[in-house]
This record gives sequence, structure tokens and C-alpha cells, in this order.
Amino acid sequence: MDKLTAELKVKIIDILNLQDLSPEDFDENARLVGGELGIDSIDVLEMVVMVEKDYGVVINSQEIGEKVFSSLAALAAYIKENLPGSST
Amino acid sequence: MGNGVYIAGAGIISPLGEGLAATVEALRANCSAIRPLELFPLLRGEPLPVGQVRGVDESSSLPRTHCLAQIAAMQAMAGCHEPIDAVILGTTTGGILTTEQLLRDKAENKELYRYHGLNSVAEYVAGEIGCRGAALTVSTACSSGAVAIAMALEMLRSGKAKRVLAGGVDSLCRLTYFGFHSLQLVDREGCRPLDADRHGMAVAEGAAMLLLTTERPDTPLAALLGAGLSCDAYHPAAPHPEGRGALMAMRAALADAGLGPADIDYINLHGTGTPENDLAESKAVNTLFAVPPPLSSIKGATGHSLAASGAIEAVVAALAVSRNLLPANTGCQHPDPALGLIPLTQPVSQSVAAVLSNSFGFGGNNGCLVIGAPDRCPVSASAHVPAGLAVHGSSCLTGAGNSAATLSLLTQGVPVAGMADLDRISANLSPRLVRRLKRLPRMTLSLAIAAHEDSGLEAKPSAVFMGTGWGALSETYDFLTRLAELQEQFPSPTDFVGSVHNGPAGQAAIMFGATGANITASGGDYSFEQALLAADLMMKEGDASCLVLGVDEGHQALSPLLDPSIAPGTPLADGGGGLCLSRTSKGSQCLVRVPFYQSSATEGAIDLLIEALGGVQAVQSRYALVLAGIPAAVRGEGEVQLARFREQSGCKAPVIRYRELTGEFASASAVAAVMAVSFLTERQLPAGEEDGKNAILVLGLGPYLSAMEFSRP
Repeated sequence: MDKLTAELKVKIIDILNLQDLSPEDFDENARLVGGELGIDSIDVLEMVVMVEKDYGVVINSQEIGEKVFSSLAALAAYIKENLPGSST
Repeated sequence: MGNGVYIAGAGIISPLGEGLAATVEALRANCSAIRPLELFPLLRGEPLPVGQVRGVDESSSLPRTHCLAQIAAMQAMAGCHEPIDAVILGTTTGGILTTEQLLRDKAENKELYRYHGLNSVAEYVAGEIGCRGAALTVSTACSSGAVAIAMALEMLRSGKAKRVLAGGVDSLCRLTYFGFHSLQLVDREGCRPLDADRHGMAVAEGAAMLLLTTERPDTPLAALLGAGLSCDAYHPAAPHPEGRGALMAMRAALADAGLGPADIDYINLHGTGTPENDLAESKAVNTLFAVPPPLSSIKGATGHSLAASGAIEAVVAALAVSRNLLPANTGCQHPDPALGLIPLTQPVSQSVAAVLSNSFGFGGNNGCLVIGAPDRCPVSASAHVPAGLAVHGSSCLTGAGNSAATLSLLTQGVPVAGMADLDRISANLSPRLVRRLKRLPRMTLSLAIAAHEDSGLEAKPSAVFMGTGWGALSETYDFLTRLAELQEQFPSPTDFVGSVHNGPAGQAAIMFGATGANITASGGDYSFEQALLAADLMMKEGDASCLVLGVDEGHQALSPLLDPSIAPGTPLADGGGGLCLSRTSKGSQCLVRVPFYQSSATEGAIDLLIEALGGVQAVQSRYALVLAGIPAAVRGEGEVQLARFREQSGCKAPVIRYRELTGEFASASAVAAVMAVSFLTERQLPAGEEDGKNAILVLGLGPYLSAMEFSRP
């Protein structure tokens, strides 16, 4: 697991107040939105704000949003691809 | 037959202009008034399109909401020389625009914050128009204006009032401007309801008022034929995807008006322009109407003025009826085929007998109104007086803890004042359920569960009525603080959704699947009383049971600034109480009613109070105990009123000044109500039963005089 994924687990548990979930138990490949964690549209927006604030990556469109937040791994991949200054 | 309700006068100020004539002219022109924000400066970025009212007097020392409300009220009252029995206003913003600036300036003078409270708008308007009756404040987000009008309708039908001024008002402010933006609900291109390319709403402002009367005026503008309320009980901010709640409210409104879908000639849609709202609403409309009548949303022209919108659109519905004007769905170029609705692309001149007007809000709070031509529609409703309210269960929370801990101290006269412990509040709530909820919604859910459990009723409550003086202070403060600290970037969507006054009642509805009426009242120190009044007016006999809650949170930074009874530096107290009620007295713990609620400035107010309680004899023979609510800020005035009441009624029952026990917070009267229930059910009345006294009086003293009466069946 890379550093960004580990970092995102801690941040998401914190901002979404997922008290009963530890970073170790957070499966980065599991369905993130609408899955077992009960994460919904408001949480997605909260994560959008966090990603923009902490990584400078803007996620605007609803259609992209659905793919980006399909799993934590997908979110990490999207951030890496779109980091300011990244070549891709 | 029961009382028919007529619209004798109407006032409106919106981005379209001021007054009925200007509004008609603007609607006929089919132009959008949505423009980039100018009202307050932004620290960064291009201003978003909004619906801003032009020409409001900027020099007024009153908050903008109050100014807008006053303008609309004066128009509606023009030509009326009779006394108004009640004012019922919907608002979500109160004085927040002013408060936002004061907080940024770190202003510490309490006096500057005195128009912050939502209740201050209705009370100010009542003062301006000389209304000495109740001034009630509804805060159900974007349906507030419609719900206020629905409450007025019931008050008039029941005969409790002859003339009521009802409506809604909101001003633009940073909280709503940045809040809706944080939810990605704002269309940068303006607002295009029902358009295939729609991207959201335009936050707006405005005010509208209806002068409603049971005495038919010579030339009524229209008649208010019916109203229907419902709650999605689905999500705090998003509508139910199939429009379940919208459909229920529309159906209820039609049934209330005694009309069928085929009788509706025009639908004024909620039509905010967000993809989700318009889709959900279209599904509901297409389910109810085999062939929908002409329909449109005016929000592409006005923007979405939140609590005002339901009232503004009620005025537009009245204009449709009286001026034969069906407004266009301004801003929609290419109707979305997925919606299956064909909105009016141009204004149409056409005779209209009955209009359905929709309003839906956060918390899934829905309100629909039916407005029609008085000569072409059935105006009178059936005169059915519902049974009174009976208490089946209760719960309270204070600094001492839950009901058991609190009541064991209160019955011994030991103070329970303090901040309720957050872990203890959350003890009966699952971590997943409350992970996004801060102090006020947690206390609310905890009380709701405990009151229902105490009732022993198997059926879950189907309606929720909540009173809160100050709303979700933690969420509001956190939202505004972060907004300021981060230079107006990255506002929190979670805090915005949580900041609305009706958030906690919406959460309670989701928890219980309560799809009936869901009303949040905010009446300062009389908030719980207002919630109880709302329940008495709006709880249907079909409702298995309902919850009536009164809750306020103490907040280190905001409570000392906002609440006039909390002096800086004094320890905070908070908590609340909840009752589980039905209209069946069988098996109940006691009965409850609100026989009196009026301004204490009324001439002979104490005599009127005694009369409403049944006269001197009744007061002397019935009440075993008086629980007196005297907020610290009005101690002198309250003590004088209490002394006069005792002297004039000859009431010798012992008096407990309950705030000495509960501490100072706006909904302390909810704890007093639960105390009264406990005294009656545990048979611990200070005066013995042998002298036949079987009732407890909970008095609210200060600028308003209110009475709640609890009695054995």
C-alpha cells in the first residue's frame, strides 16, 4: 500500500467521523459510496473539498465524481494522475 | 361547514420587484432577474449568479430579513383596519447576514445581536402591524413559507383566529450563498429549471405575506383552499428519488381542498433547477396527474428565495387566479425529456380556477398549497374539531443527565443546570447514526427515542414537531468560522446541511420513518410552546402518534452573544424535553393543551389569560402547581406578571421558577413540561389530590404570555 492510500484512509476516517473503522480495516478496494460504510452524497462532497484543499485536485463533475469515488484506490489513482505539476 | 379562508391582501418583494403590479409586469415580460452577487464583497473569485432584491434601504439598523419582511407585511396590510390575531412567518436566515459580519468583526456587544433569532422577524412584524396575538416562526428550510401558510389555514378554520398574516422571508447571506455552493447545487449559468442542461439553483432572497381571513372580503384576491404537508424521511438534503414525499404532500393538499387532480388548472412547481429536485418532482407530478395541467417554475426568473419562496409562489398562484396569468418557466430552453413534463415556455393569459403550488425543503420537509377562485371552488372545509392531545410518553435531558437522573433531582427541588454530557446524550444512539451529527441533533434523537420508548406505543410516531430557540449553533459556528479562516474557500457541506434549524427534526423523521407533518418552530424562549401549538394545529387524527420536542444547545462562543438571558461568563446550561402524543386519551399519562399565547403588551393580558384558563374559579380549583418560566433577561417584568396573575386569579398553588433548576436555555420550558407530566403520573403533587386539584400550569412570562396545561384525564 502506498503512502497516499495510507494517508487518505486516515483523512477519510477523520473527516467522515468513521469512529468504528481503523485504517487497518479500511479496504481500499471495497465500494466506497453506497457501500457498507454508509457513505452518501454529502460525504462525497466533503471528500471533494478535502481533495481540493489538501492536494489541489479539483473534482467537479458529478459523472467523474462517481468513478473517482468508486473506491479509495480509485480516488488515490485519480489524485496521483491529476496532482498539479504531474505530467499525465 | 367550517370556515372558508380568503386572501384579502398580499405583499411581495422579490428580485422581480416590489408589489403585485411590478410582479405581474415582470412575470409577463418573462425575464430573469438573476445577476451576479453584489450584496456583500467576496474575498476571492467571480460572484455567482443570485436573485438579489434591488432598492432595499441599506441604512436601516435592522437586519435585511426584517426589512424585507416589513415591506411585504405593509403591502399585505394596506387597507386593513381590523386587528390581526396572529402572525405566522417562515424564515431560515433571521438576522444571520448581520451576525456574520459581527462575528468577523469580533463584536462583543450583545445588544448588536438582538435581531439574530429567527423569532425576532415575526415579532418585529407583529409589532409593526399592531398584532397582539401569537407571533409564530416556522423554519422548515425551503418549505417554510408554505408551511407557515398551511398553519395559518388550520388556525383560521378551527376558529382560533379570524385574521392571520402569514408568509415567508429570507435574505441573502454568506451561510446560504457558500452553503449551497459547497453542495454543488448552484448553476454558474443562472437557473434553468426543467432544462436538459440544468445545473442547479440560484440562491435568492425576498419576502411575501398573505392577509388571510375567514370573513369574505368584497373583492378577495383568491381563496386558500387547502394545504398538505409531508416528510420524505429519506435524507437530510437530497429529495427522495421517486418523489415519494412530494407526491404525499400534493395528494394531501388536494384532498384537503376537496379537489381532484383534474380540477387543477395550473401547477406552480418547486422547480429549483437542481437535477435531483426537478427529476423527483416530475415523477411525483406524473404519478398524480394522468395528464398534467399547464405548469412552470418561476425560479429561473426569481432564483430560489428559500423560506420566502413558498410564500412568493403562493402570491403568484393568487395572481394566476385573479389576473389570469400563468407565468413561464423562465430559463428553460430545452425541456429535459427524462422529466416527461412540458413547461410553459411563454406566459399565458388564461382563466384559472385552481392552482397547486409546491414547496420542498431540506430535511425532506414538504408543503403544498391549493389556491383558487372563490366563486368557482369549494371554499369551506368540513367543520371537524379533532380530539385534544394526550401525553403517552416523555423524556428529558439536562446537565444532570437523562430523564431518570434529571427527574429524581427536580422532584426534590435540586438544580440540574449544566451542559448535558455528549457521551451520555449519545448513549442510546449508534455511532454510525450520529457520525455526522453534532450536539443539537444528537440531543434531539436521544430525546425522541426515549420519549417514544417511555410511551410503550408500538406504532412509531408519524409526525414530528420541534422547537428550538437557536438551532444548531455548533454547525453554524463551525461553518462560518472555517469559511472565514480559509478565506472563503472550502466551506463544509456537512456543516451547512447540519446548520438548518429543521435538520434535527428531519433526522428524527428518518429514524422513525415519520412521513407525516414535520415542523420546526423557533420562538425564542417560547419555542417548545410554539412546537406544541403547531402539533395541535397540524397533527392529523390519522397520525398514530407524534413527537413534540424542545431542544437547545449551549455554545461557548455563540450562546453568551445571542441569548439575552445568558450573561457573559456564566456557566452554560442546555438540554430539552420531548413528549410522545396522540389524540387518544385512552391509556395516556395525562392531557396537554395550550390555552393561551399572546403578547403581554395586550391590554388586560393577565385577565385574558385567566379567562382562557376558565376563569378565577377554575384557576383556584384546578391547579395544584404552577411552573413559571421567567428568563433571566426579563426577570423584573416576569415577576410582576406572575404576581399579578396570582393576585388577580387568587391562585394559591405553589410556584416553582423552573429556570432556577434547569438553568437558562431557550427550550427550558420543554423540561418543565416533562416535569409536569412526571408530577402528575408519579402522583407527587405538592397539593394533595383530596382537594380535587389535578392539573399543572406551565406559564411562560416576559414579552409573551403563554400557558401550557397538563391534567389528568
